[in-house]
Amino acid sequence: MEITVLIFLTSGLFLGWSLGANDAANVFGTAVASRMIQFTTAAIICTVFLILGAVISGAGAAHGLGALGKLNALPGAFMAAFSAALTVYWMTKAGLPVSTTQAIVGAIIGWNFFSSSITDLSALTKILATWVACPILGAIFGALIYKLVMVTLSKSRIHLLRLDGYTRLGLILAGAFGSYSLGANNIGNVMGVFVSSSPFSDFSIAGLFTLTSIQQLFLLGAIAIGVGVFTYSKRVMMTVGDGILPLTPVGAWVVVISHSIVLFLFSSITLEHFLASNGLPTIPLIPVSSSQAVVGAVIGIGLLKGGKGIKWRALGNIASGWVTTPIIASIVCFVMLFFLQNVFNQVVYHEVRYVLSEPVLNHLERSGVTVAELTPLKDREITGGVPFRDAVREVQPRLPGELEEKILDAAEIYPISISDDKLMSIDADYLSPEQIGALDNLVGLSLLHKWQLYDTLSRKSGAWRKLENNKLNKPFNKHLDEQLNYVYGLFHQEERGAKS
Amino acid sequence: MNIKVENLALFGKTKNIERMIDDLMDCISNGAMIFETGINTYLDGVEDGRCDDLVHQIRDLEVEGNRLRREIEGHLYTDMLIPDSRGDVLSLLEDINYLLGLAEDIFLAITVESPMIDDEFRADFKLLTTAAVKTIESAVLAARAFFRNITAVRDHLGKVSFHEEEADQIAVRLKRKIFASDQSLEKKLHKRYFVDKLDRLADEAEDVGDWLAIYSIKRSL
Repeated sequence: MEITVLIFLTSGLFLGWSLGANDAANVFGTAVASRMIQFTTAAIICTVFLILGAVISGAGAAHGLGALGKLNALPGAFMAAFSAALTVYWMTKAGLPVSTTQAIVGAIIGWNFFSSSITDLSALTKILATWVACPILGAIFGALIYKLVMVTLSKSRIHLLRLDGYTRLGLILAGAFGSYSLGANNIGNVMGVFVSSSPFSDFSIAGLFTLTSIQQLFLLGAIAIGVGVFTYSKRVMMTVGDGILPLTPVGAWVVVISHSIVLFLFSSITLEHFLASNGLPTIPLIPVSSSQAVVGAVIGIGLLKGGKGIKWRALGNIASGWVTTPIIASIVCFVMLFFLQNVFNQVVYHEVRYVLSEPVLNHLERSGVTVAELTPLKDREITGGVPFRDAVREVQPRLPGELEEKILDAAEIYPISISDDKLMSIDADYLSPEQIGALDNLVGLSLLHKWQLYDTLSRKSGAWRKLENNKLNKPFNKHLDEQLNYVYGLFHQEERGAKS
Repeated sequence: MNIKVENLALFGKTKNIERMIDDLMDCISNGAMIFETGINTYLDGVEDGRCDDLVHQIRDLEVEGNRLRREIEGHLYTDMLIPDSRGDVLSLLEDINYLLGLAEDIFLAITVESPMIDDEFRADFKLLTTAAVKTIESAVLAARAFFRNITAVRDHLGKVSFHEEEADQIAVRLKRKIFASDQSLEKKLHKRYFVDKLDRLADEAEDVGDWLAIYSIKRSL
């Protein structure tokens, strides 16, 4: 356990704190601002369920890591987390609700620029799409549900006091559920990158249940989120709940429910799988952000009432915060990485090398890529994603993005060596016995590319074989991809000696 | 086991306050009816202590109304219920409870001052009392609807205005009649004083209705 890991861990905790101070406001902001739930009560419920979500459901997805897991050196990940946290902190100070995920994606883009890595276009699309789609969807759902609730209430003749009780209960339940999901989904971003270097060891509580080292790490992260909720989230809560449009308690509940529905309908793979397996048309999955869904729902209710009460200036500030968050995070990250590398002599990224060797070209040809034009680059080792992509573009200028991505993936040098000692440390709960058995047969094998391991494994065992790419098989393939990434990382070898 | 939502601890307190609000409304509408009976008894000249009994009854109701109002106010604040309409509900309960106090004052003043109401004015005095009481009853119905059925508030408020207008017309007519008579000025002024008092009861009920209209708009926003 190195002291540097502990230092790096602090940026994760800072990020957790920022997440608590900002994102948690989405779940309880309207409830607190409409005075239905006291801030302290909201903070306690939020923290408890955040911790439960992070420890119970977050740990289950630990191997999938968070977005920061893409960064290949711990000091680099530290700085990306720190830049994202700093950006969210500034936004929180200004009382603006932003999405921590977007700050992280922004920081990763900064890291990509610094390390000459290629920025995943889908990450950029994700940011742009959420700016537009999420508030609109939130507004549509907010307005529809508000109308429906109002009609139902006028017919049901519930006593004002009883309605108050139901609304309070609804706000608490929805808030608790929202906090649980927030903890489960975001703990990966806060702590995921430190999973492989967790300073904790498993321990059992009174012999009843065991807390794994990952769960302890996530508990620490969740506590940091909780501290963020208690110390700093009130201001953002007031912006969300009162700054755009003063809401009635029922309106507050409608906002929380609409935001949950938007998040569920447009980001649930489970729902997509359920619809597809029953032969029903699926809802397109689009990236969604809770901050934007909440603000959208508030606007939706405001517009339904004629739009008079909406404070457009506050809304403008919030929207500008959304645009500036990823930009600030990426700039801050870039500058900080420069200092970390040149002043503190830390390795902030590992160089990624690419080569279009004979096996790579054959592999590409098999997967439908015309490789004739690529031969000038054959066996030329190029360092950095961007220089390699530029070289590919030089020889084949009009290549569709999808094929370009395929070439990059195939050519990336990622030495893998299946060794006995690493096989011993494999997580037997995460992989099936058949999958582990297939790996067992490969001991001693060294490979140069990720796809080679996949090809070998899928030939050896059906448990490693991806299914046909359709909506029904999407969850299976996604899970297999996560397992593969875990295996790639586990058997990855830093030295350059590996040969295919 | 059959568990009703009302029996759960979470809604137990709420149900208790709901019951107290209903009881307060009952006090006011019962008080209004007793007030009407009392005035009619006085006008009919029944002299066997019946009026004093009715004064006691209306006073008891007023005391009970005040107790309920204070208790409801205490609960709403200490339990932090209905944060957005708490202020409106408290004003509504105070205003509507004030009507009962006002009715008691008028009835007590009539029994103490014993104004001389001649036969020619008696029918109009009764009509004026009935109109004022109907205004109060409609205001109470509107207040009840505010808690359970917000869309019905408007209908009841329409009736409040109608009866108040009716009371105004009767009051003007009665005052003209009083001052056109050949009675002495002090008798005329004494009767006018009570006409104004009864008319004010209807006016106050209409004020409750006006505020209630605003509270309803706020709730439906």
